[in-house]
Amino acid sequence: MGLPAASSMPGWGESAGLWIKRIPMTAALYIASVVGAVALYMMMPRRGYTPVRFGFLLGACSLGGLWLFLGRELPAITGLPDAAAGYYYLFGAIAIGAAARVITQTKPVYSALWFVMVVLAVAGLFLTLEAEFMAFAMVIIYGGAILVTYVFVIMLAADSGDASNDEDTPEYDRLPREPVAAIAVGFLMLSLLLSVFAMHSEDGSTFPQNYQAQSESDAFVITNELTHRPITELEARIKAKNPDAVMPADLARKDKLDNIEKVGLDLFKSHPLGLELAGVILLVAIIGAVVIAKKRVEDDAPIQEEG
Amino acid sequence: MDSMMLTHYLIIGAILFCMGLIGFITRRNLIIMFLCTEMMFQGVSLSLVAFSRYHCNVTGQTFVIFVLTIAAAEAALALGLVVLLFRRKRTLDANAWSSLKG
Repeated sequence: MGLPAASSMPGWGESAGLWIKRIPMTAALYIASVVGAVALYMMMPRRGYTPVRFGFLLGACSLGGLWLFLGRELPAITGLPDAAAGYYYLFGAIAIGAAARVITQTKPVYSALWFVMVVLAVAGLFLTLEAEFMAFAMVIIYGGAILVTYVFVIMLAADSGDASNDEDTPEYDRLPREPVAAIAVGFLMLSLLLSVFAMHSEDGSTFPQNYQAQSESDAFVITNELTHRPITELEARIKAKNPDAVMPADLARKDKLDNIEKVGLDLFKSHPLGLELAGVILLVAIIGAVVIAKKRVEDDAPIQEEG
Repeated sequence: MDSMMLTHYLIIGAILFCMGLIGFITRRNLIIMFLCTEMMFQGVSLSLVAFSRYHCNVTGQTFVIFVLTIAAAEAALALGLVVLLFRRKRTLDANAWSSLKG
């Protein structure tokens, strides 16, 4: 009954057969959540034998089922999913699998390294969303800067012992706190979010593909912001020195802006106050980190070295 | 791209967020707890970028830049605190500080 409608209108937004399709969808999402919760509980470290491999397999099955289900919901007329869809499934699976390892790994360093994997996979997902600048910023800032800080502190604050020996890992890393309750709460929240998505996915929330709105807003920015702006003296000087330099007037001649040009225009034109506040927050964080981590010397402590 | 839907990305964002939530509750290592909050940030960033692509509005990506800023500031402060706490009790166990409950 829903089949003719599916071939005429792509996406989840078929009006005919909506109720038929909607109930199995929410049910499938819930089943995937429950199976995933059981899999995650199996992977949680515990006393004695931990069936990590079995849990991983079960989690892969639930994820695979979810993927198959999401793929089934893809429009029938497009046939095979295109390249972006393939990359979506690949990076999504990597991100979720690595996230599971982050929270079930008993060794902190390995947790941090699996988190790098999560960051890389999320950057890949950003690329499929055509957010190139954010993808590379994610890799550089998260994978490069923040994770190096984490690994450094993990090394600095390591308790003792040989990292390759499982018995030397301290107990608080080996045993999770309240795994059943935590997983129940987490997956309850996940089911809630998923049911909200399922409720609102009826109106066919496919991504716009022809960029019409996008190019319209680009044209608005180009015509209104860039062309009616006189070339400043500084820009003329730079242009004379370096003919390859891209000036706002050059942007005005383009009909489509790059991702990074759009992000830059939006950041500096629409959110200058936020930018300043971000700078202040970073400054406060730097000063705070120095003040907190500074080793205080007591007043009555003997002075060790006198110059 | 025409076959991809907003919901697909939101599902992955939600899963990452909930994984981070579970990790924050279950892990007892202070550093890993903060790492799990970073994972929640990842899920939120993914949802923001997906919405930005969906609405053809780049402000979502600008917001991710602010999220990155906050994450960096949080990492600096939190890790400073962790180092301080580690110096006091020579352990990273969050339960060691349960006396703070009062």
